[in-house]
Amino acid sequence: MATTQRTLSRGALALYAVGAVTATATASSAFFLWARGAAAGLSIAAALPPSLLLGIIALASRFLCSTLPLRSASRMSIAVAHAGSAAAASGLWVLTWKSWVPELNRQAAANLSPDYSVLFGLGVLLYMAAVAVHYLFLEIDALREAEDEVLRYRVLAREAELRAFKAQVDPHFLFNSLNAVASMCGSRPLEAREMAQRLADFFRLILRLGALERITLGEEIDLVNRYLAIEKVRFGDRLTTHISVDEAASGCMVPPLLLQPLVENAVRHGVASMVEGGTIDIVATLENHMLRIVIDNPADPDRADARGEGVGLENARGRLSAVSEGQAILQAREDEGQFRVVIELPR
Amino acid sequence: MIRAVIVDDELPARELLREFLTADEDCEIVAECANGFEAVKAVAQHDPDLLLLDIQMPKLDGFEVLELLDRSPVVVFVTAHDEHALRAFEVHALDYLLKPLSQERFRQVMERVKRAAGLHDRQPLAGLATSLRARPLQRVVVRGDDGAIQVVPVSRLDYVEAADDAIRIATGGVKLRKQQPIGELALQLDPDRFVRIHRAYIVNIERIEKIELYAKDSRVAILRDGTRLPVSRSGYQRLRELL
Repeated sequence: MATTQRTLSRGALALYAVGAVTATATASSAFFLWARGAAAGLSIAAALPPSLLLGIIALASRFLCSTLPLRSASRMSIAVAHAGSAAAASGLWVLTWKSWVPELNRQAAANLSPDYSVLFGLGVLLYMAAVAVHYLFLEIDALREAEDEVLRYRVLAREAELRAFKAQVDPHFLFNSLNAVASMCGSRPLEAREMAQRLADFFRLILRLGALERITLGEEIDLVNRYLAIEKVRFGDRLTTHISVDEAASGCMVPPLLLQPLVENAVRHGVASMVEGGTIDIVATLENHMLRIVIDNPADPDRADARGEGVGLENARGRLSAVSEGQAILQAREDEGQFRVVIELPR
Repeated sequence: MIRAVIVDDELPARELLREFLTADEDCEIVAECANGFEAVKAVAQHDPDLLLLDIQMPKLDGFEVLELLDRSPVVVFVTAHDEHALRAFEVHALDYLLKPLSQERFRQVMERVKRAAGLHDRQPLAGLATSLRARPLQRVVVRGDDGAIQVVPVSRLDYVEAADDAIRIATGGVKLRKQQPIGELALQLDPDRFVRIHRAYIVNIERIEKIELYAKDSRVAILRDGTRLPVSRSGYQRLRELL
């Protein structure tokens, strides 16, 4: 709907442009003739056809403008192209005058011969005015498109948020952790109590952080640490972790629950797929205004169930691109039993 | 006395099962295993009456463990994933337990186990377990004569040939023998990637270099590594539909 309206208004504007250039050209050139002593009616009749031609040429210059956008084309090429076409258009307009006026009225031709250098200047001026108006409208269009783009990113962001909240935490993580709590109740009641507390704290934190728009990387890492502490009770020696976060990186703002699902993947599809287990390595640095987060974990290349991983990665990618308006990068690579996710987010 | 083997890759989960089983006077734990390989070995070694089997484990999952057993204890799946529960019945596991475990439910299941173990007419499990696995199959497990277990992802499977009532699986120049009818495996493999080109052959279509006419109505498939496999008329039709 919006597109149709815009096309209509563009068509109307184009007509107005032809009209304006033609009217101005006719009025001013007829005035020159009339000032030199020609009859008013004859002056207008002489001025109208060449002016109409100039109006159409001025309209056509829109195509030249759109192939040489102000934002990307070099200033030199814009200047040269428009100067050249202004001269050509104006030359054509003067030529039309020269051939049209004798046709109109041979007797009056002497009276009707205007000052051609003034006419040429007038043609150039009007053509340039038309170019300026074209650029103005092209810029307005570009601005509107940019606004649409931002809007689209916002919609994408909302969708990604929704999906992320649905897939926040694998419910089997809860079932398995509760089973560990049940197990410890008999032999190690104090540890069981502590584990129950950790689970509650973790879920509370997820709810609190998930409701925020942005959090610091430090807060996200805190969440990840709590999650890993719970998984370590389940996996024992099989799960080791190494987390290193620059102080500068720790203060960077990130969307909440960006890393948590990725780390969950690293446990569920990575370390859990290895008989001997392995180490999850998380490194975050801030260099040249670029926040870089790398998650490394071993993974069995022959693991059976790789379904869930793609979804988690896609979610993270969607949210990242939404919050950074397409500036951030998320890469996932797997080779020789090592899985690596790299996130690069400009500050 | 019920002789039980516990299989779970998480220590707290094993501990809980141990606690429940120890409380039952009729039960004795003969082995605790942290992965599928250990489980296959333990069953061969101890010939237990009961296998308490986790499903999600590294390398070999619970279903693959069942496929590799040459004895058939009563099986109870122990899992946090209830989508597996239905399949547990399909593979003729006796029952299943959901994590976190309930002691009451554990007692009920043990009652059933004792009745079943007393009957002594356990069904052979392996064949059934195989035929009802999730499809399409993602990897094939093979147990060699020496007891060594090999896990072959289907992407590395070149072709399969029938050998009497067993099959030989060709992968990267070696052939692994497995006790399974070829028709059963043909049903489990992804029909978009594997074609039964002959009564006795299944081929990975990515490995086919070309098909040549050999005699009237008789064709031969030439694989990238030069292997020549016969293609029957109906096999050729299936191939043509796919390619």
